[in-house]
Amino acid sequence: MRDEPDYYATLKVLPDATADEIKHAYRQLARQAHPDARAEAGTSLLFRQIQEAYEVLGDPAKRAAYDRRQADAGRSPQAVFQWRMQPSRATLPVLPDEQVLYVLFDIAAGQASNRSSRIPLNVCLVLDRSTSMQGARLDQTKAAAQRMIDSLTGDDTLGIVSFSDKAEVVWPSQLLTDPIKARARVSAIQASGGTEILQGLNTGLQELDKNRQKYSINHLILLTDGQTYGDEEKCLVVAVEAKRRHIGISTMGIGEDWNDTLLDALASRSGGVSQYIASTGEIQHFLRERLQGLGAVYGDNLRLTLKMTNGVRIRNAFKLSPYIQRIERDGETLILGPLQSDTPISGMLELVVGPHTAGDHRLAQAELSGDVPARQMADAVLRQDLTFTFEPDANANTTAPPSVLSALAKITIFQMQEGAWQALEKGDVANATHRLETMATRLLDMGEHQLARAALLEAGRLARSGNLSPAGRKAIKYGTRSLLLAPTKDK
Amino acid sequence: MIECPSCGHQHRPGTLFCSECGVYLLTGGPLRTEPLPESDLPSSRADPWESGEALAQAEAQAESTIVIVPPSGRQLTLPAEGEAVLGRLDATRGVFPNIDLTPEGGLEGGVSRRHARIHRQKSQYFIEDLGSANGTFLNGQRLTPYLPHPLHDSDELQLGRVRIRVNVK
Repeated sequence: MRDEPDYYATLKVLPDATADEIKHAYRQLARQAHPDARAEAGTSLLFRQIQEAYEVLGDPAKRAAYDRRQADAGRSPQAVFQWRMQPSRATLPVLPDEQVLYVLFDIAAGQASNRSSRIPLNVCLVLDRSTSMQGARLDQTKAAAQRMIDSLTGDDTLGIVSFSDKAEVVWPSQLLTDPIKARARVSAIQASGGTEILQGLNTGLQELDKNRQKYSINHLILLTDGQTYGDEEKCLVVAVEAKRRHIGISTMGIGEDWNDTLLDALASRSGGVSQYIASTGEIQHFLRERLQGLGAVYGDNLRLTLKMTNGVRIRNAFKLSPYIQRIERDGETLILGPLQSDTPISGMLELVVGPHTAGDHRLAQAELSGDVPARQMADAVLRQDLTFTFEPDANANTTAPPSVLSALAKITIFQMQEGAWQALEKGDVANATHRLETMATRLLDMGEHQLARAALLEAGRLARSGNLSPAGRKAIKYGTRSLLLAPTKDK
Repeated sequence: MIECPSCGHQHRPGTLFCSECGVYLLTGGPLRTEPLPESDLPSSRADPWESGEALAQAEAQAESTIVIVPPSGRQLTLPAEGEAVLGRLDATRGVFPNIDLTPEGGLEGGVSRRHARIHRQKSQYFIEDLGSANGTFLNGQRLTPYLPHPLHDSDELQLGRVRIRVNVK
């Protein structure tokens, strides 16, 4: 049987909407989309979809039957996720060549999300105790870990692992019933030895496994300040395996000497976040923030699958929150990771669309799926079509909505920064220098003076010595990806 | 293919930003508003006192709407909240005025990114220059920046060189 479209989404109402709300929404949408009411074409298909949806939802008997069928098909009639797609333009010109189309998407927790009750956390802290951590770094890390112990409740399980060139369990994973003892164990951690992240990761994951349940939030938090020795590849394999077991990994790099590529990849492959900690005083702050984020997890393992029609492909896909990053992909599926009830996931797709004839065309069928642990629900699925009207005389240069433009402006800077590192990896110092300089100009235009100065400084250093400073590289990388977080004046 | 006006890199149609130099492709990047020669603009100034009197006199009346008509003749209605910034869209700098005058020759006409603001108090509409490079003129008189002046039906506004008719209904 063919999957029925989400009529509630078509009418932009919630599945528990009253008959009056549905009627009102239908009238409003029908008026807007009526082919006679709007000069531009492209409305006729939408209008038909609205009609079809109202024929079912407007009739109590048909609606009840539809709800039953949806429930039987494993799709709960409740609004699990709120999902919006905003393209850069409403109609596309008919062109002989390929063209670019951007789609901004937002996914938020459904109306029914209960913000007051928190799902129990199953967390393991994995702390670097190598010689380089000695002093303020280890002291602050220990203080932050102890703060974390205080902020967890008796329903949460916590394990603590420390590692150097070998790993040891400081506090075996268990329900947090004896916080005082746990704090004392943390105090006793001493610095010595090298850094082998794989050792810490493996031991941490073993601890998490002891208390892992299907519907709990399982998370490993890694704090390190150094490069690992030759086990990068194995670490990444472990991260993918962790994801399969519903364990996320968040990484925090302290200082300048850690491997940002590795820590970013560990986080993005497992659905965690990576963080650059420039000064030891920030450790507590970031750890607390991470814990709050985990406590607010509403959906997990979110995936957006785009079934493209012929001649359409994804060129780039970026996640915009909590910071700009490329979305991990598995074929046609974009891996979006966990969804917090207080922060929507937003992202940008850059599609390349081949030549199409005039008229309505479906470019892709999008399917959003994810688990909702608090509601013991696995694989809730929503669907949306990306249908566009192609017109022979549509203006090729149409302004996009401000939300799309402002996100794209920042993604562009992020891509320029990526381009600079890529050029540098290939040994093309001149190109990398040029890219950093152009990027600095754009940053100045945007009023990001500090970041612009960092970029210019590194461009200068690069031109003179052919090398970057690790601190400068990190400042630029983690600064540009967080551009979207900076408050914008015109909002 | 379309070409980046700044660095010449080729892009597929529909691309909005140049991946090489970060320029917004539809306008060619952050273009400055150039000052216009004095002789191009009216020289008389509006009476600043009018502003205070009108503000004091503004009274609750029946709802009115305002429609502004730029040279192209398209009719622009103010957003429901009765406030709008007129100017020139600059995506690179994140400036998105409610009423974008770029299609009305805003750049050549010396319109600033954030040029002027129309707002409503009770039932009276006001125009306020936002310290623009080339000034805002009401019926041929230059407005003192940041001082709101009342707007009436069939007034003529001039932003830089761009003339706009105002209809209050």
